[in-house]
This record gives sequence, structure tokens and C-alpha cells, in this order.
Amino acid sequence: MFFKSLRDRGYTLTFKLADDSSLLLSKYGEFLFDHLIIFAPSVEEFGGAVSVEAITDFIDGGGNVLVAGSSMSGDVLRELTSECGFEIDEEGASVIDHLNYDVNDNGKHTLIVADTSNLIDASVIVGKKDELAPLLYQGTGLIADVDNPLVLQLLTASSSAYSYIPDQPLKEYPHAVGKNTLLIAALQARNNARVVFSGSLYFFSDEAFTSPVQKALGGKHYTTSGNKDVAIALTKWVLKETGVLKVKSVSHHRQGEKTPPQSYTIMDTVVFSLELERKTNHGWIPHDADDVQLEFVRIDPFVRTKLVRKSPGSYKAVFKIPDVYGVYQFKVDYNRIGYTAIYSSTQVSVRPLEHTQYERFIPNAYPYYASAFSMMVGVFLFSIVFLHFKEDSVKSKAE
Amino acid sequence: MTSFARVVSRFYGEYTNNTSRKLKIIDAYLFYVLLTGIIQFAYCCLVGTFPFNSFLSGFISCVSSFVLAVCLRLQVNWQNKSQFSKISPERGFADFIFGHIVLHLVVVNFIG
Repeated sequence: MFFKSLRDRGYTLTFKLADDSSLLLSKYGEFLFDHLIIFAPSVEEFGGAVSVEAITDFIDGGGNVLVAGSSMSGDVLRELTSECGFEIDEEGASVIDHLNYDVNDNGKHTLIVADTSNLIDASVIVGKKDELAPLLYQGTGLIADVDNPLVLQLLTASSSAYSYIPDQPLKEYPHAVGKNTLLIAALQARNNARVVFSGSLYFFSDEAFTSPVQKALGGKHYTTSGNKDVAIALTKWVLKETGVLKVKSVSHHRQGEKTPPQSYTIMDTVVFSLELERKTNHGWIPHDADDVQLEFVRIDPFVRTKLVRKSPGSYKAVFKIPDVYGVYQFKVDYNRIGYTAIYSSTQVSVRPLEHTQYERFIPNAYPYYASAFSMMVGVFLFSIVFLHFKEDSVKSKAE
Repeated sequence: MTSFARVVSRFYGEYTNNTSRKLKIIDAYLFYVLLTGIIQFAYCCLVGTFPFNSFLSGFISCVSSFVLAVCLRLQVNWQNKSQFSKISPERGFADFIFGHIVLHLVVVNFIG
């Protein structure tokens, strides 16, 4: 059902065994696939030319990856996740929740019911979480590097969950406890490539898609789980069908003009406009938001202002250039959870006033003007008097 | 107090009798320049330094005129003949005028 939903959305799927000796991600420096889905939890080593380096290269090249593990995750998946900023718990460990387990559980309390309130608060990634049925999950826990701002905690376990090997007595403190236990984690790399890692392959299975959900300890009964809806929303996100933004146009000019000048002068009033677009199934549509900011940067931001929405997807800021000249950049750095990062910078130069642009004939300064001219008149009169007097004295001497 | 008054009157008498009239003309000019400079400075203290370039150029033109006039006075004074033996009073006056031309060009350019 999972792959059928992908095929229905127009993808061409190529299935390969994980230890197939002819596995190949790139040929002659070009990637053969746009996206990669690894549903091989226990594989110890990929066949062919696929390795952790090849997959990280694929991500660096902009490819999107969806990985599902299980409680018996193999070494390559561990390496791959640690490259992406999270960790899989020890081999054999499962997420156990003695309060929120499903009625169909086999007694180990590893088939847990994840409340939709534990989903990340981003409808772009997981869909409308208020309308979803609870999710079924069976698999290992993940631990995220909290310092990594690129990692998104898509689905966390409830506060009563922990991750440990189910058959063994609890001897040491579990690696992941409560909300720190991640069930599904995502990474949106700086090149906007997306990686989603689920600790459970079961999450994407037909069984999980169709089975009813009921918490064993007196929960409400749902006829089908929310897994299918979340899985579809999640794949739409990871395969970059949703949550992709782009800058359609950037323009800037002086207030009252139409075209950008060669260079701005200090204290000019500048109009900066930006158009954002979002990808949908029907092409690019204007992206409506009210939290876009503009920075006018010369090493430090000199002006940081809100871009006011003029019409859907079109933003405008009017501001005055500070009294400092130099080379500036208009920067729009827009990072929101679930959307691709937008970074746009436009360089302009700001020059000081020209000699003819200074203010003239300031009333305050008239005494100074008067005195300067009186000095000139004074020296003129003085010269006349001085020269004439000299002649007189010469004449008087001659006489 | 009486001795101070005596010094002043003695100084005044010496000045009126022993100073050539040419130097007295220069002194009158110097006094005028000094007064203009003081008025400007007082005005700047009252009004503030807003057109600072105008204040600077006006004030500096006074100061420079004063300096140039003092130089002229030194060169013209017959008591200093030994020091300026190679410079005739005419040459001194020409230097004075040249200095003023340069000064006022700069001042007008800077006064804004």
C-alpha cells in the first residue's frame, strides 16, 4: 500500500535487494535516482557500489532519503544515522511503553500507540495532526543530537516510554527515556536535501496501515490507525512535493523610482520587494506568510525590518539607509520548520553625499558666511589703505 | 594698582609716540579680525555646532587672517630689519596677499 501510494503519485519505482551486487547510486558523476528509500533494517553491508559514503554523497548532491530501521538495525544504518545527526539505540532494543500499548500487543508492550500530539507541530510535514487517529509503532528508539539545529524531531514517544531490550531485566539506565526517545526523526540538510529516519519499518507496513488502534488501558477504539495518512504526508515532504519554497523575484529601488540605481546615497529611502512561491501539486503558487524579515547588512545588520505583505506571496519593505556608506547586502534568510531554507542576498553599494548634494545656505550659518566675507572685504580695504599710506609716506620722505 | 595704571599709561604713551602709523593701521586691522573671531566663537557657543564646517571655515579664516597680519607686521616693522634683511616690505606685502588668496579660496570651498 505504501509503494502503491507513491506509484499513484507518479513516481517510477525501482526495487533492488540491499545486498544486490549491482547496486549503484551514481554513474559517471550523475545520480541515477532522485530519491532513495531504504527499507532494509537489518542489512550489515550494502551490495555493489552503495556504501555510507555513497549515500552521504547522494544527500550532499541534493537527493532525498527515507530510511526505516527496526529493533535489529544493522551497522550501515547506524553509521548512516550518525552521519545525519541522530543515533539508533543498541541492537535488540525496542521502544517499550507500559501505559500506551496497543490491544493487539504480544505482551512485551513494544507495539505502542503514539499519540498524534507527539507529532511535530508542522502541518507541512505530518498533515493536520488534530484530525489523525493514533499511530502504531514497533521498533527501536532514536536519540537526536539536540545541538544540531537541522534535525527535526518528527514523532517522539510519550513520557512513559523508554528504549531497552524487551526480554532482559533492566540493569542500567536506558539510553532513551520519555520524550527524548524519538520514533521518527528528520534532517533537512543545508542544501535542502531531506532525510527521514523511522525507527520502525512496521510503521509503513500494510498491517499498520489497516489495523485498528486501541490503547490497552482503556483507550478509545479507532477502526484504522493514522499511519497511512502520516506516512503519505511524510513521504510527500521527504520527496519534496510539499514544503518547498523559492524566491520568485527580488527588486529594490529608491522610493519614487522604478529601476534600481547604480548606487544608493546615504539617507536614501529604499523600497525592497520580494516574491515567494511554494510548490504544490499544481505548480508554484504564491507563499503567504507574515513573518518574513529583511536585513540590510554591512558586516553587521544595520537595518532589520519586517517585510510587509502587500498581496499573497508578495512582500515589501520601505526603510531609510543609515548615515554610513559602504557595500551593503539586502538579505532575506527565512528558515521555518518544514519548509526549505530561503537565503537571498543582493549586493548594493551606498556612497556618501556628492559635493553638490550638501545643504546650502543654512540660516544658522549666516554669521559664519558674513564673517568669512568680511575677512575678504577687510583684507581688501586694508590693502588699499596700507598701500596708499605707504605712498604718502614715500612722498613725504621725498618732499 | 597705581603702578599698574602707570604701566598702562606708559605703554600707551610709548605706543602712540614710537610706533609708526603703518604699524598702527595693521594693529587696527588685527583688532577688527580678533573681534570678528570672538563674536563667531560666542555665537557658536550659543547656537551649537550644527553647520560645523561653516563655523570652522569662518573661524579659521579669522585666525589665519590674524596670523598672516601678524606676520606682515613682523616683516614691515623696521625694528626687525636685521632678521628680515633679505625681504623688502613690498615682498612681505605680496606674500601677505598671496596667503590671503589661497586662504579665501579654501574658506569659500569649505564653508558649504
